[in-house]
Amino acid sequence: MDWTWFHKWGSPKWFYELSGKWLPWLVGAMVTCLLIGVTWALLFVPQDYQQGLTNRIFYVHVPVASISLAFFPLMAMAGTIFLVWRMKLADVVVKVAAPLGAWFTALALASGSIWGVDTWGTWWVWDGRLTSLLLQFFLLLGVVSLRTALEDSEGAARACALLSIVGCINVVVIKYSVDWWNTLHQPSTNFTLATDQANGPEIWVPLIFMIVAVYLFFAISLILSTRNEILQREKRAQWVRDLVAKS
Amino acid sequence: MSAARSTLAGAVVATLRRDLLIAYKRKNDLFNPFMFFVLVATLFPIGISPEPEALGEISAGVLWISALLASLLAMDNLYRADFEDGSLELLMLSPHPLYFLVLAKNFAHWLVSGLPIVLVSPLIAYMLNFPEGAYSTLVLTLLLGTPVLSLLGSIGVALTVGLGSRGLILAVITLPMSVPVLIAGTLTVSQTLEGASLSGYLAIMGAMLVAALTLAPLASAAALRISVN
Repeated sequence: MDWTWFHKWGSPKWFYELSGKWLPWLVGAMVTCLLIGVTWALLFVPQDYQQGLTNRIFYVHVPVASISLAFFPLMAMAGTIFLVWRMKLADVVVKVAAPLGAWFTALALASGSIWGVDTWGTWWVWDGRLTSLLLQFFLLLGVVSLRTALEDSEGAARACALLSIVGCINVVVIKYSVDWWNTLHQPSTNFTLATDQANGPEIWVPLIFMIVAVYLFFAISLILSTRNEILQREKRAQWVRDLVAKS
Repeated sequence: MSAARSTLAGAVVATLRRDLLIAYKRKNDLFNPFMFFVLVATLFPIGISPEPEALGEISAGVLWISALLASLLAMDNLYRADFEDGSLELLMLSPHPLYFLVLAKNFAHWLVSGLPIVLVSPLIAYMLNFPEGAYSTLVLTLLLGTPVLSLLGSIGVALTVGLGSRGLILAVITLPMSVPVLIAGTLTVSQTLEGASLSGYLAIMGAMLVAALTLAPLASAAALRISVN
């Protein structure tokens, strides 16, 4: 099998140039999806018969919460790639994903609280999902602070990769144990294609637009911060100097 | 003992004996986690309420949190002295798998810092008006849970052993990871009081212990290799 495609990822310069070509497309797709999703969700989706207008925050909360669950698997995967193949780009991803993940988790918690204050009558309850997301937030901050504390970059990179893998396993254990402990949060909803059902297409199609938009937003933020970090690390390389001289 | 003649079991026993001997010579290590456990547990009645009923309701949680904090405090001297005097490097140079040596160190550390807490817990439980009929469950869960806390803490210590000041970062890394143990421990106690069958809960705690025993020393060993490099 030809492995050149894999080795190319080892070159930060190659990734920088490639991602530069992707970015305009990603931004365009994100803006389109976001405009369609937001207009549809906020203006045209029928009101929930119990929750009224409040329910519309569903279209922000669900995509943000679902993406925040993807951070530990992402970091664990990138961390494994870094530990096994010593790929610098993978470490850059582990590094920039941690604070980004903390932000997304905070957003999920905040949008959930705003939803909860109207439907549950409180900003915070010690419910299973809320608690496990809060603990995930702390674990991500732990990865960030470990990186800051270990200034030596090679050691810090390997330590954070390991902590991401351990954290990923732990997040799963935390999730199940906390659900077992206390659960008030509504279970995941099953959506259906039939238009006469409660959760028919008029509910979930705008949700799909929002989910795609938020995933694209996540991809764009990750790529932008990765590019930023690459420039920082490679600032002594000739191609970065040429780039700076040109701009 | 030359490397050619030493067996794995011999190396494990030697590590265990060495760590226990050091702990015995430095009585502080033996005494401090235990004292800390008793002190933290004492703060709760003062801070919350001396009413026996209120105390009885929270006593299981108080004991578990005190055990968790005491184990966290004790974690610091698991590898620090060995790192500073270079014996950790020698340990890693040994021909035996680091997994078993780390396991031996963790076991010695638990015997010194975890077991005394488990043994004194019924006394503190009595002082906190712990509900009758759950004492054996409390001791059993602590017996299963405190080794898990030590094994998890060991990963955090191994990751941060090279740092000068690491008190807080160790807590930030370790405490969220300890939550499942805390939940399982306190839930088992409260289920006993409701008359539920214990076997399922104890099986979950046992499963946590087995998972921690098999996986955590691997992570600790990898973390030590990174830190001591």
